[in-house]
Amino acid sequence: MSSRDVDVTLGAAGVGGLSTTEMVLNIGPQHPATHGVLRLRITADGERITAAEPVIGYMHRGAEKLFEVRDYRQIMVLANRHDWLSAFNNEVGVALTVEHLLEMEVPERATWARTLLCELGRVLNHLMFLGSYPHELGAITPMFYSFREREEIQAVMEEYSGGRMHFMATRVGGLLHDLPEGWLDRVDAAVSTVRSRLPDLTGLVLGNEILQGRTRGIGVLDLDTVLAYGVSGPIARASGLDVDLRRDEPYLAYGELFGEDGPGRVVTREAGDCYARLDVLVEQIQVSLDLVEACTARLRDLGPGPISSRLPKKLKVPAGEHYCASENPLGLNGYYLVSRGDTVPHRLKLRSASFNNVQVLREMLPGTVVADMVAILGSMFFVVGDIDK
Amino acid sequence: MLAELPWALEAGLKAACVLAAFLTLPLALGQLEHKLMGHMQGRLGPMEAGPHGLGQLVADGIKFAQKEDVTPAAADRPVFRLAPAVALVPYLVALSAIPVAATWVAVDVPASLLLVLAVTSVGVIGTLMAGWGSGNKYSLLGGLRAGAQLVSYELPLVLAAASVAMAAGTLSLTGIVQEWSWWWLVWQAPAAAVFLAASVAELQRTPFDAPVADSEIVFGPLTEYTGLRFAFFLLAEYAGMVLMALLFTVLFLGGWRGPWDDAGGGVVGVLWTLLKATAVAVGFLWLRVAWPRVREDQLQRFAWLVLLPLALVQLAITGAGVVVLG
Amino acid sequence: MQVVLNWGRRYSLWVFNFGLACCAIEFISASMARHDFIRLGVIPFAPGPRQSDLMVVSGTVTDKMAPAIRRLYDQMPEPKYVISFGACSNSGGPYWDSYCVTKGVDQLIPVDVYVPGCPPRPEALLHGIVTLQEQIAAETPGQARSRSGSRYADRPVTAGEVTRDLVAPPAQD
Repeated sequence: MSSRDVDVTLGAAGVGGLSTTEMVLNIGPQHPATHGVLRLRITADGERITAAEPVIGYMHRGAEKLFEVRDYRQIMVLANRHDWLSAFNNEVGVALTVEHLLEMEVPERATWARTLLCELGRVLNHLMFLGSYPHELGAITPMFYSFREREEIQAVMEEYSGGRMHFMATRVGGLLHDLPEGWLDRVDAAVSTVRSRLPDLTGLVLGNEILQGRTRGIGVLDLDTVLAYGVSGPIARASGLDVDLRRDEPYLAYGELFGEDGPGRVVTREAGDCYARLDVLVEQIQVSLDLVEACTARLRDLGPGPISSRLPKKLKVPAGEHYCASENPLGLNGYYLVSRGDTVPHRLKLRSASFNNVQVLREMLPGTVVADMVAILGSMFFVVGDIDK
Repeated sequence: MLAELPWALEAGLKAACVLAAFLTLPLALGQLEHKLMGHMQGRLGPMEAGPHGLGQLVADGIKFAQKEDVTPAAADRPVFRLAPAVALVPYLVALSAIPVAATWVAVDVPASLLLVLAVTSVGVIGTLMAGWGSGNKYSLLGGLRAGAQLVSYELPLVLAAASVAMAAGTLSLTGIVQEWSWWWLVWQAPAAAVFLAASVAELQRTPFDAPVADSEIVFGPLTEYTGLRFAFFLLAEYAGMVLMALLFTVLFLGGWRGPWDDAGGGVVGVLWTLLKATAVAVGFLWLRVAWPRVREDQLQRFAWLVLLPLALVQLAITGAGVVVLG
Repeated sequence: MQVVLNWGRRYSLWVFNFGLACCAIEFISASMARHDFIRLGVIPFAPGPRQSDLMVVSGTVTDKMAPAIRRLYDQMPEPKYVISFGACSNSGGPYWDSYCVTKGVDQLIPVDVYVPGCPPRPEALLHGIVTLQEQIAAETPGQARSRSGSRYADRPVTAGEVTRDLVAPPAQD
């Protein structure tokens, strides 16, 4: 190990007459901090990082290639798994893209139900990071609190779809089946439970002085870097980039929700540090819970009706190409579909949020210490599958 | 209590008692931690091993004894192998000088406070040896963090203890408890706070656990240790907590003296000591459940800019108090 | 004596979560308050392979990751156990026809218990752990591991051996 080779020689070179060799440290691929298998090659002088390079590809599963041999209905199984914390949002993105090429009308009920499930998915995603981020800074307990809330929401999601993580509830043209009897009430109950207990969690996380000391002013990401690297989602909004596709390029029912009197609002912060990123997540949970309640109210008003459209036995998408982007919990997720009129896509390219968000680490890490590296890495809110696909 | 017995027998019995306490108290504390942490997090803690999970740490011990003993190829073998012992033995020695009741002390040396403080600071060498000897970069980083941390927290710790010793006019732990009276709780409060913070740092517990920060440097100096050697380090950590809790009780909480019965000898005194020490230890555990860890430089700043001045002010207050009252 | 030794190993399984993908989240769920495998003596605080007894491989094993898994397994001290958690690590799962996914972690390391599902529910992991504990209770200490170790000892370990050569492009006419 090269730690043994640290040569300390008294000589002309180096500060204070001491010259030390730098140490190359491999963080990952399996390291407690990377929650997944991101690998970082950092060069450190003592604890000070002089260079950092994210090494990606450990989770590359070739999903885009596999899309090319899967039926459009089967694609969703894989699409849903690349970012495993935003499963439902991923499914819907694929469905929207395919529906657009098919020029298919989706029943209104399905659109609202999809919006509802998307927002529940967003809450699930943000709760996960709200638990895991303090865990990386050494606080074990917030994780337990956030998972308590996650279980509440997973229970209603599971009741509808049968899955706890990978819901597979979206179909091209609608949803899997109609909402169960009384389900909307149970969603409302779960939302109000989560809302009432959320202050416990946020108080434990954001209110903690040590956590503030570890995150305020750390890992500041300025707006220029955000734009240069194509960073999106809560991370970009924490640096003051006021972009949210739900408002700016509305899909599903977001046009109405983010309209004049809608409950939706875009959460932004100016500071751009780790604390701001965490703060954005907390407030986005509140916004999403509001949106869920708006959706349940609307679904009640709509009354019974169809929730999916009839599809031919062989689903062929007419030749053409289409790009569709959605605001996933972690950022902008794009789908570029090229069809040659077959039952399988010619190419389905994913533009995943984490891939861009992680690249910026190369700019952020040099100059920080190893302990801050963990704080910054955790605050970039990435999912390794979303990086590597 | 054992004064009438022959010298060798007395020494042997006392050694056996200290060893028994040394082996059972940390286990009890570990079990308490499992359960306390579990309940604070809405869980139950271990349930299946033994009744209500009481055997969890015993099972851990049996398991560790069966584990393969790995010495990494890159390790500095003698240093690597010796480190757990160096970390563990000082606490055993220190425990023997702690009085749990007026007459219940294994070795009543005149300057026992000095002995305890001196011996516990040897433990850091074990951590440093582990960090260096493992031949692992994470261990090295952790070892150096631990070294820096323990050196800077040693000073406020000693100053806080010195304040009490000054107030009591003796360096003997039994003497300190005999001199103690309830209003010292107020008089020595800053010293108590400094001592508590510094002892958490000495023990490398949350929030001062940067040397073993698992999300940063895996497990710091202990990364490469397996089986019994690792278990020794764990035992040292919990023995350290027991020791620090007992020391805090003796220095600041009046040791075996209860609010009503001031005689202090015998079993009641022991119970008081253990009760107070448990309360302090629960405080240590609570910190771990509630707080994240501070960064290495924040931790140093806290030691030098907050704890040290506070300890010095306390020394001045104590000095003034001793002059006025004396 | 054997009963005591087995009891110790059975209820002190310090687990090293090889969290790779979706299943890792369900693994975390299983350690949280609702399912709580700490009740069973599975302690999730092992920070590295050296202190752990049980490795739970949860998620898709890719060919790039394979050498790291094998290396971490080799770093764990005996006696050690492996649970393969989820369809991906059992067999490749939904990625069975991918060019870069290892079809089952049992090609690299011996697996004691397979937990099916994509991802399996936390309850399934609890069942897997209980099954493993029953297996441990029936073991003879010292001899147990010889059953599977030799099969894997000569398997490739290094990245160079595991990584396949690049596929040559088809000849252009």
